[in-house]
Amino acid sequence: MSESKKTIEVKVERTIPAPAVEVFDAWLDPKIPGNPWNMAEKLLLNPHVDGFFYWLIQGTSHYGRFTEIERPRRIQHTWMSRSTSGEESTVTVTFQKKGEDTLMTLVHSGLPDTEGGRGHEKGWNFFLDNFLKKFTEASGEKA
Amino acid sequence: MDQLTDVLTAISHPTRRAIIGKLAAGPARFTDIAEPFDTALNAVTKHLKLLERAGLIQRKKQGREVYISFRAEPLRQVAGWVHEYEQFWNERLDQFEQHFQKKKQQKEKK
Repeated sequence: MSESKKTIEVKVERTIPAPAVEVFDAWLDPKIPGNPWNMAEKLLLNPHVDGFFYWLIQGTSHYGRFTEIERPRRIQHTWMSRSTSGEESTVTVTFQKKGEDTLMTLVHSGLPDTEGGRGHEKGWNFFLDNFLKKFTEASGEKA
Repeated sequence: MDQLTDVLTAISHPTRRAIIGKLAAGPARFTDIAEPFDTALNAVTKHLKLLERAGLIQRKKQGREVYISFRAEPLRQVAGWVHEYEQFWNERLDQFEQHFQKKKQQKEKK
């Protein structure tokens, strides 16, 4: 892997109304909607350090190896798919207690700086401004 | 309004993102789409109208039933600006969060 290749990091956060251990376990349970293993056309999942996963969804294969499993605080695994252009990216999910809720932070790093990625750098603020403006307008509308 | 604005409006609401998430798995009937939501049926109809205006869904009649399916093309316009994984994880985590919110609501009802 070339060190000079520029990569992109994506960070997404949500506050989940449940204790961290419940959220942690749900994240590794393929039956729970929204986690990466849900809605699989084919799934092999071995959520232990050095365990592998294979996830097929809408005809796209995803592969990875778990590198950290620290119940109920942190999960890290590698992630390879057509969209990572053969590069090994990393997904790190942390679960922090926030009162009765859990702050869940997902960081997907090492994503190749593809055309879509560069578009992201140039256009993200523009997109976000519009998105937020729309969001505010939409919430002001009668749904 | 231009199509991009329509698309941004369409994806700016968590319920509409959840509808897209469901339809991404395959076409569904109106009743199947409305079923998981606590909102009134006419609210779901309004959400579907906004998704339709953005070109994100289309309706097809099959026998007596009308099936609604997802069209990804308009999202590509937006995806040029957001990394596809940003969109992917946002959609996933919305569903994940919604699962827990529903669970909490069910607990509170008991």
